[in-house]
Order: sequence, then C-alpha cells, then structure tokens
Amino acid sequence: MRPKPISPIHSTQYLQIKDAAISFDTPRGKFTAVKNFNLTIKRGETIAIIGHSGCGKSTILNAIGGLLQLTNGEVILGGVTVDAPGPDRGIVFQNYSLLPWLSVYANIFEAVDSVLTGKTKAEKAAIVESFLKKVNLWEHRDKKPAQISGGMKQRVAIARAFAIQPEVLLLDEPFGALDALTKSSLHEELVTLLSLDNQTDTVVLVTHDIAEAIFLSDRIVVMTNGPDATIGEIIDVPIPRPRDKREIIHLREYVEIHDRLLYLLMDAFAVHRKMAA
Amino acid sequence: MKEENVLRATWPKTTLRHFTFPALKQSLLSFAQSMLWMLAGFSVLLVFWAIVSSVSKGALPGPFATLQVLWQLVSHPFYDNGPNDKGIGIQLFSSIVRVFIGFGLGSLVAIPMGVLIGANEVCKKLFYPLVQLLRPVSPLAWFPIGLAVFKHAGEATIFVIFITSLWPTLINTSFGVASVPDDHRNVARAFGFSKAKYLTKILIPFSLPHILTGLRLSIGVAWLVIVAGEMLSGGIGIGFFVWDSWNALSLERVMSAIILIGVVGLLLDRGFDLIAKKFSYT
Repeated sequence: MRPKPISPIHSTQYLQIKDAAISFDTPRGKFTAVKNFNLTIKRGETIAIIGHSGCGKSTILNAIGGLLQLTNGEVILGGVTVDAPGPDRGIVFQNYSLLPWLSVYANIFEAVDSVLTGKTKAEKAAIVESFLKKVNLWEHRDKKPAQISGGMKQRVAIARAFAIQPEVLLLDEPFGALDALTKSSLHEELVTLLSLDNQTDTVVLVTHDIAEAIFLSDRIVVMTNGPDATIGEIIDVPIPRPRDKREIIHLREYVEIHDRLLYLLMDAFAVHRKMAA
Repeated sequence: MKEENVLRATWPKTTLRHFTFPALKQSLLSFAQSMLWMLAGFSVLLVFWAIVSSVSKGALPGPFATLQVLWQLVSHPFYDNGPNDKGIGIQLFSSIVRVFIGFGLGSLVAIPMGVLIGANEVCKKLFYPLVQLLRPVSPLAWFPIGLAVFKHAGEATIFVIFITSLWPTLINTSFGVASVPDDHRNVARAFGFSKAKYLTKILIPFSLPHILTGLRLSIGVAWLVIVAGEMLSGGIGIGFFVWDSWNALSLERVMSAIILIGVVGLLLDRGFDLIAKKFSYT
C-alpha cells in the first residue's frame, strides 16, 4: 500500500455539487430530503459522507451517479454538468445489486462489455480476469451470486465498479451489511485496489460507520438530519497514508476526529425519535 | 482470505446434481413415504366410490367395473376401426396435439404482448382494459366464432385453446416484466446497458419464472377446456370420447376417461413444473 500521490492532472475543483436540493412528491405534499448542499471535491480525493439513516446521503450519491435528478442546483464533474449515468462513474450499490442469473464472471463482463465499447472481446475478457484476480475471486468466477457469501458478493460489486475503469467511484454504504471482520478485510482490499489503480480515482463513500470513514477518507462530510438535510460540518482527516488500522486508532488525530464525529452524530445532529421513524 | 476458507469448509462439495449415498437413501425414503400416503388416499376414495355406487344401485358404476373397462381401454390404446371407434390412445393423443398447437400459438402471441404491456405504460393503458374484459369470458363462447372463421370443428377447437392460453401467460408475463426491481434497473443505467442487453440480460431472465408460471397455468386451463371443446366439436379427441361414451350409456368408459384425463393433466403440470425449476435462479 503506497501513499496516494498527487496526480499530474490534479484539479481542485474536479467534482462540484452546487446548491443541490432534492425533493420528492409524496401523498402528504412535497418532501425535501436534501437542500443547500455545496461541496467541492479535488481530483483523487476520498470523501466520506456520514450521517444518520434517512439523512439523504445516498440521495446525494445517486445524484452524482446521475441516477437521480436534482430538484435544484447541479453536479459538475470535470467541467461538465451531470444529468445521466456515465462510464466515468462506477457505482457500488448498497445491496450488491448483482444480477442473480449471471455468474460472478458474467456480472462483471456485461458491465465491462457495455462500458468499454472500444475494446475487443479478448481485451474485455482480460480486464475481467485481472479484476477478478485482484479481488481474489477468480476461482469462484462460475458461481452464481446466491452461492457466495455477502463479503464475496460485495467484492464482485467492487470489482465490477473498478473494472469499467471509472474516474469517480461512488460507494453507497458498501460494507453496511457485512460483519465486522469481513468489513475490516474489505477495507484493506479497497485501499489496495485504489492504490493499484493509477491513483487518480476520486472516491465518494457514503457510510454510517465512523471508523470506516476515518480509515478510508481524506475529508468527512457530516450531514444534519432530514428532512431538509444539509452539510453540518466538514472534517479533515490529516492522517498520513498508508494507514494501518491497528496503529491509527492510537493517534491523537484519530481520537480527536472520532470524538468530534461521535459528538456531532450523537448530540449535535442526534436523531429526534419522532422523525427517525 | 479467511472468509473463503470458512466458506469452503461449510460449502458441501456435492451440489444437487451429485447425490451422495445417504442423500439418495433419504430421498428414496421420503418418496416411498409420499407414495404410501397417496395409496392411502386412493383407498379412501375407492371405498367411498364403492359405497356411493352400491347406494345408487349401479347407476354409478363401481370401481371394480370401471377399472376393468379402463384396463381394456389401455391395453389396446391405438386400434382404429373407422371414425367412430378409435382407441383411447389415439383420442388422447389428438387432444394433446390440439392443446399444444393452440397453446403454442397462444403463447407466441401472449408473451410478446405481455412484455409490451408490462414494459410500456401506453400499451398498458391501451390493452389492459381489453384483457380484463375478455379474460373472464369462457373460452367456449369463442367456439362459434372459430367455427364461422375456420369452417372446421377441429380448427375451431384449436382456436378455443388459443384463446384459453392467452390470458394466464399474458398476465403473468406483464406482471413479471413490470416488476423488475429498481436495483436491476439501476445496474443497467449505471453501466449503460443497451436496449438489447437490458432485454436479454435483465428483463427476460428476471421475468422468465413469471412467464413459465403463466405457461404452466395456461396449459392447465387448456387441458380443462379441451374436454368441453371436443364435446362441442365432436369427431375425435378425449372430450368427444367422453360424450360418445355417455351416448353409448357406458359410464364405465366415462369414469375411465376421467381418470386418464387426470393423469395426463398431472403429467403436463409436472412437466412444466420441472422446466420452471430448471430456470429458477434463486
């Protein structure tokens, strides 16, 4: 695991979310999930968005992914306004979202096949093979998603997102459904994958796990509670990389960030029971 | 990969296709058990049947007389002594052929229509009320229309089966197509699947179990309707055989036909169930 160097095409305003608001029409009137959301992300930066369930963090991620239209404001990626999904963004969904009738191999191949249209079949097959090997699933390539564990499913989903070679990786609570041990080993695998990949990947990670946010990200965006959720605070994570899970937890910075996040989530933006339901 | 080691330890090497000896023994045992229950059920029926027969003083033939006639029928299934005297095998076979022709043509129309109605909001608004109006109509009501169009009772019966086979397949297909989960749709959107890829890799695989359920229901209803259809059409077929036997006042033959119709219906249903199991992905 090497540290993430600053890439030559480093841009400080690579991904911008400007004055974003998202509302839904419900039978009881308009429901505004997120509003006044402003965030500028540097190229190669890893951002964690943390908040309570239902605070609209996944909504923001889906808007960056182009799966959801903003009611107000815009998402600008590399100078271009985002209005649809595109091959420059790879998404890892909350619940794996593998196609159950396709093998592990085919799940990745179909994505590669439709995104990397310029490549030959052999080149595509080589890409799928290399990513399956990177996540140690090559020998399970012929299994169906129902035949593998949750951790393996999530590794397939991660390999699928990486295999289309996107510039931005969007991770929607990717490890939420996994047990602590599996989660931990997947965190390290993810960091390895990110550093293997030419280190220009910009990552937006949605999570509600404080330790995960600190371990993986450069900045942590803490959201207030919905409705009308917005950014409550942005916390820098000045812990040098590579980070060792066992060691960083004793660092003063880690403890401070951890305490601050805990305070924000438990007290400042605590869930009001009535609204949480 | 610690996690994989755990998985390998708990994941049995044998899949369903390779039975181990204890598994085979277990499945044979449970098969024998269900056969025993089935035999017991039949015995209850036979006793009840014998009682009703003796109470009705022979108006309803008893099980013994019926089984004798049934045995005669099935021991010479394919004899052919002219248009009004053919073996039970020929009758059954011609009914099955008609059912499959009508069902096949019906499915060829119902599956694409179902996909259209399920996938397209305009098509749904346009056609679904029609489907709801026509579905409750007894397919036999279409018999005169078929007769007028095709001029032949045989073709009219196939037409009735065609109509019969439309609805369950159409409704199940459109339901399956309309219920593709957002998760799968999002995969297609996020990775930019083309229309063709969406159709072949998501829409059809997802709706296939629903389509197969529709087909299984359709063939079941078609087999119900063919008997009545052939009673109307006459000529040949198991329905005609039942009506002909009634006219010849042989209730033993009618009862035998009922048993055979049941057996064929059961086989058709099991067959489709097997196909559906083969294509289920869960």
